[in-house]
Amino acid sequence: MIAPAILLLLTFLVAPFLLSFWTAMTNQPLIPRPVPVQFVGFRNYERILTDDDFWQAVWNVVRFTLMVIPVQCGLALALAMLLNAALPFRNFFRGVMFLPQITSMVVVCVIWVTIYQYPSGPANQLVHILSFGLLDPVDWLAEPSVAMPALVVLSAWQAYGFQMIIYLAGLQSISEDLYDAAKLDGASPLRRFWHVTMPGLRPTHVLVLLVTTIQAFKLYTQVAILTQGGPRGTTDTIVHYIVEAGFARGRLGAAAAGSVILFVLVLFITLIQRRALRRYDV
Amino acid sequence: MFKSQNGVSLRTVQLVTAICVSLILIAPLVMLFVASLKTDRFEIMADMGSWRAFWVSTPSFDNFAEIMSFSGPYGFARYLVNSLIILVGTLGLGIIFCSMAGYVLARGSMRGRAALLAAVISLYIIPQESIMMPLLLIVTRMGLGDGFLAQILPWAANPIYIFIFYQFFSQIPIEIHEAATLDGTKPFQAWRYVYMPMSVPATATVAILMGIESWNQYLWPVLITQTSYARPISVAIAAIFGNDEIYWNYAMAASVTMMIPILIFYMLFQRWFVSSFISSAVKG
Repeated sequence: MIAPAILLLLTFLVAPFLLSFWTAMTNQPLIPRPVPVQFVGFRNYERILTDDDFWQAVWNVVRFTLMVIPVQCGLALALAMLLNAALPFRNFFRGVMFLPQITSMVVVCVIWVTIYQYPSGPANQLVHILSFGLLDPVDWLAEPSVAMPALVVLSAWQAYGFQMIIYLAGLQSISEDLYDAAKLDGASPLRRFWHVTMPGLRPTHVLVLLVTTIQAFKLYTQVAILTQGGPRGTTDTIVHYIVEAGFARGRLGAAAAGSVILFVLVLFITLIQRRALRRYDV
Repeated sequence: MFKSQNGVSLRTVQLVTAICVSLILIAPLVMLFVASLKTDRFEIMADMGSWRAFWVSTPSFDNFAEIMSFSGPYGFARYLVNSLIILVGTLGLGIIFCSMAGYVLARGSMRGRAALLAAVISLYIIPQESIMMPLLLIVTRMGLGDGFLAQILPWAANPIYIFIFYQFFSQIPIEIHEAATLDGTKPFQAWRYVYMPMSVPATATVAILMGIESWNQYLWPVLITQTSYARPISVAIAAIFGNDEIYWNYAMAASVTMMIPILIFYMLFQRWFVSSFISSAVKG
């Protein structure tokens, strides 16, 4: 009875995974050629690791991660605290606030292209109002300095729900007694937040931080649809680089080498996560 | 957050805050639904910067009728059906295979069960995104390219879903298992007639997570589908961006069309949603 699942896992997960290490050492093309595939050793890795575009992609992903964590996790924590309070219609609000999460990234892209529309979309209207008409409209997805931040906002909006739920679970694990004790001592709400809520959420923070980082490292769909890595490579990502190398340029060997590097990076973050969580006994 | 001696007024503040925050957060979705009812694509974009983005004076379903007819500029009916076939196929096979695997890992009698469990769970660290290219090679060599099976089989077994079933089955009292197997019931029958009927929460959890994942897939179908034969609606909508002239009225209607099935799915299963996300979150 376990055979079908094992067979599928072996064929579509383990085999491609192992194959990626082999493919990365060959000059495997996407479209089969009459010439036999050759073993090229570590040349693909060498090429990638000396490719400025790859390092640009890595740097972009790091930049995206550093920006998306405070935006997405901050929003998630604030909403979780709101939803954790004794709020009327709490389940209704939970349901509504979770809607962006179930929206396909492709649909999210359709919506946000109109929001970022130049020069008169809602994003620019907001800039106009907030700056009292002083700032000029911005072409969000085409301007190198703001394209990545624009993707950060859109991505955080789509994905905060997941982190919100984790925070909600974390908040519910903090004992009510601690709040009562703090209240008796006359601690203000702000002090209660800093001295009870935040320390109580420490393991949750670690989990949220690492989950968000892993998600961020796999950034692809938004980039592929909205910016194709541009303007001037400022939104290129590791997965986008891999797909471009393998699919657009037909160099599966290079793509596989990129995939192995991505796997090692994600594995590294996962190991940190497990270690940190073990320390917090989660 | 708000200092108040009076519980009622604090609640009112929280309620008002929740309403305002919810409205801001779903405003983009409301804009999408409103825009899909406007037939003039220039009007849609012109309205976006004003309150008219939230208002339609003469709502019309013409966009939907147009994209659902095969003759229109965007024949979306086919892609919608394709996505549904992939969803049903993945869910059907996925729930059967993952629950059977979870059952064997939890209650099977074979040797090396613990090691197998550890091996299956450890597979979750392999990110989908990092196996796409070799997977493409394998699937194409198997002759599955550009078809439905190529989009169903690779996702029908998943370490996390197997683990969710495993965990649920392990918590069912062993006495029930003993009673069921005492009179020589075969494992398959125990799974089919004892375990599966008891596992509605686990099945719902896996169905939700798998359903959303399958419905929103993008990278893999882009790589694997060359023709509209088995292309899902996500890829078809993304293709709109490749056109020089974008018919925003059709793009909006297609996006709403893509949202409606998953929205219904979500409303049906919502009560299992929170716990299912927590359980999958902890395992990344």
